[in-house]
Amino acid sequence: MCVGFEAPNVTEMNDWIAIGALALVGLLIPLGMMAVSYLIRPSVPETSKRATYESGEVPTGGTRVRFNIQYYMVALLFLVFDIETVLLFPWAVVYLDALESDAVSLFEIMGPMVVFVAILLLGLGWAWRNGAVQWAQTPRQVEADRDRP
Amino acid sequence: MTVAIEYYVLLSMGLFCIGLFGVLTRRNALMFLMSVELLLNAANINLIAFAFYHGNLTGQVFALFAMALAAAEVAVGLGIILVLYRNFRDVDVTVPTTMRW
Amino acid sequence: MEPIQLPEWTALGPALLLAATAIALFVVDSISPRSTNRNVLAGIATTGSLAALGVAVWFSMAGVGATGVDGFGVIELFDGQFVVDQLALYFMIIVAVVTALVVVASYDYMAGHTYQAEYYSLVLLAATGMATMAAANSLVTIFIALELASLPSYALVSILKDNRGSVEAGLKYFLVGALSSAIFLYGISLVYGATGYLQLGNIASVIEAGDAAAYDGLLGLGILFLIGGIAFKTASVPFHFWAPEAYEGAPAPISAFLSSASKAAGFVIAFRVFTEAFPLEATAGVIGIDWTVAFVALAIVTMTVGNFAAATQDNVKRMLAYSSIGHAGYALIGLAGLSADGGELVMGAAMMHLLVYGFMNTGAFLFVALAEHWGVGRTFEDYNGLGRRAPVACFALAIFMFSLAGIPPLGGFWSKYFLFSSALEAGLLVVAAALVINSALSLYYYSRLVKAVWIEDPVLERDALTQPTGLYAAIVVAAVMTVVLLPGFGPVVDTALEAAAAIV
Repeated sequence: MCVGFEAPNVTEMNDWIAIGALALVGLLIPLGMMAVSYLIRPSVPETSKRATYESGEVPTGGTRVRFNIQYYMVALLFLVFDIETVLLFPWAVVYLDALESDAVSLFEIMGPMVVFVAILLLGLGWAWRNGAVQWAQTPRQVEADRDRP
Repeated sequence: MTVAIEYYVLLSMGLFCIGLFGVLTRRNALMFLMSVELLLNAANINLIAFAFYHGNLTGQVFALFAMALAAAEVAVGLGIILVLYRNFRDVDVTVPTTMRW
Repeated sequence: MEPIQLPEWTALGPALLLAATAIALFVVDSISPRSTNRNVLAGIATTGSLAALGVAVWFSMAGVGATGVDGFGVIELFDGQFVVDQLALYFMIIVAVVTALVVVASYDYMAGHTYQAEYYSLVLLAATGMATMAAANSLVTIFIALELASLPSYALVSILKDNRGSVEAGLKYFLVGALSSAIFLYGISLVYGATGYLQLGNIASVIEAGDAAAYDGLLGLGILFLIGGIAFKTASVPFHFWAPEAYEGAPAPISAFLSSASKAAGFVIAFRVFTEAFPLEATAGVIGIDWTVAFVALAIVTMTVGNFAAATQDNVKRMLAYSSIGHAGYALIGLAGLSADGGELVMGAAMMHLLVYGFMNTGAFLFVALAEHWGVGRTFEDYNGLGRRAPVACFALAIFMFSLAGIPPLGGFWSKYFLFSSALEAGLLVVAAALVINSALSLYYYSRLVKAVWIEDPVLERDALTQPTGLYAAIVVAAVMTVVLLPGFGPVVDTALEAAAAIV
């Protein structure tokens, strides 16, 4: 989505016009889509369409069920690794400049990032070995776990 | 085209106050965590706006670090809330009162 | 002086060694997961922390970061993000000492716990954070190091997963910690907004040049928020109320770790930020108020609140927790006295107090760990008559208590004496008076514990008590150091004063 503007005459208010226009466009697009689909769709009312899932599954129970703890473990690992990638950005920004300049060697620019990623991988390896990503357990493992307080 | 810096500060102050209100009134530990995220993001808005204003990148890069730290904090916090639930069968922060002062 | 030529980054050696030890523990735990081989794990942790201690002492002795004739000069790393001077090394020594004591004591205390490797690596990671805090010279590195110290601490406090007290303590510590670190970050963002820099030296030069005068409100509010974040880390008023809960519920070695090392690390940040980034006259010119006034008030309120609350406790661990708040108040005098001439004397005295406190308070909490190990109970009455069963440990306890109260000739007396005399010299009569009154009050509840242990008769007859080697060794070492540290080691006093003079 690209919104262009004429060179404005009023210099005081044009920032706000841009922001207001952006907000307006942001509102108009979803509203417009809903309006268009409301106008052109055929209307065939049927009760099964009101179900939560139209895939043929009949939903049972409430939505406030408790999930397996394994989801939490995986989500946690994902969260940490997902966020750690933002720390690569500042490094990536200076990488090319640093490569071209003679002041820093390749070792100096790569070294810290290699260490950083190595520590992350070590953490992942630790979590793996300690069963954080283990989805199912064999009966023997369950037995071994039961002994741990 | 720029928006004057005061408005960014007002926005972040507003966000900070919302977060602080949430911290002070919410009894649910998860809502508390969300309010703390609001506080951290208010600071991030400030950092990025001021980085733009002062024309150096320090603030932006620090905001990235702050995001990573916030994620780590949430990870630890969720772990603690999990053991809290296991022990007290509730995530209400006013329930655990085995110690009193 | 030394014929060895080390690259500059090795100046961070103590912190790097602690980090390497934590990683080594993770590797060991990855190779043999769920290992409960305490000898290997505690051995690695002890070796690492002692190595860090050795390197820090060696650097300090060899003059790394000293600005004198035989010194190597202050070492700046990564464009001044870190700075290794005598102050940094001094606090690295405190952190490494407390870590070593805690790790040795944990060998017995954590016996039978499932997550051995995790426990030790978390301790070492938190210690890494604290050692990094000592050397951090920019608000960025300070905040990251602070979080590196805090996050493992939250997990450590609640590591007894099935103990409701531990979980509750962890929750409260985490809630207050998360709030105060958010406030600290917001303060950083405001200071950045007012000055445009995050590095402490640059902030100071902007303020001195008068360029921040237009943003007096932002700067003032930012400094206020920074004080809030520091107050949490040092367990001072107004963010002190997590301390009694967290210290009471946490495993006792962790209480020792948090109340000594974590507090000291909080103070090194306070010392560095407020002396390096906010030069007194220039900042007062911008925000219109002298920030030492805030610390004078905080010091008096903190020591009074801590000591009065401690006097009313029945639970020994809780009493120690409140007394640790009181001692934070004593150490805050170091910042309160900066406005006068001889401010570096006050700060040096506060640093001496933090070092002695590192031994005597760690020792006192480790005695509580020993009592929990024996399972004798938590209140003063439960401790009655322990002296007959375990004379060595109880003698050490008496040393810790009298030193905390400030009875001559123990280490705690000397540091309090330096604090008192330098506060008088700096003209802080009210603070000096509060220090004396509070010390007198503290003698009441400290001696109450000694009386319970040595004089009272036990409520019920108990069998012979075991003598766990690790806990005993840590307690005895702490007791010996408490006695000989200040009178026996002139260099300690010199180092503290020199380190304080370097940044004032």
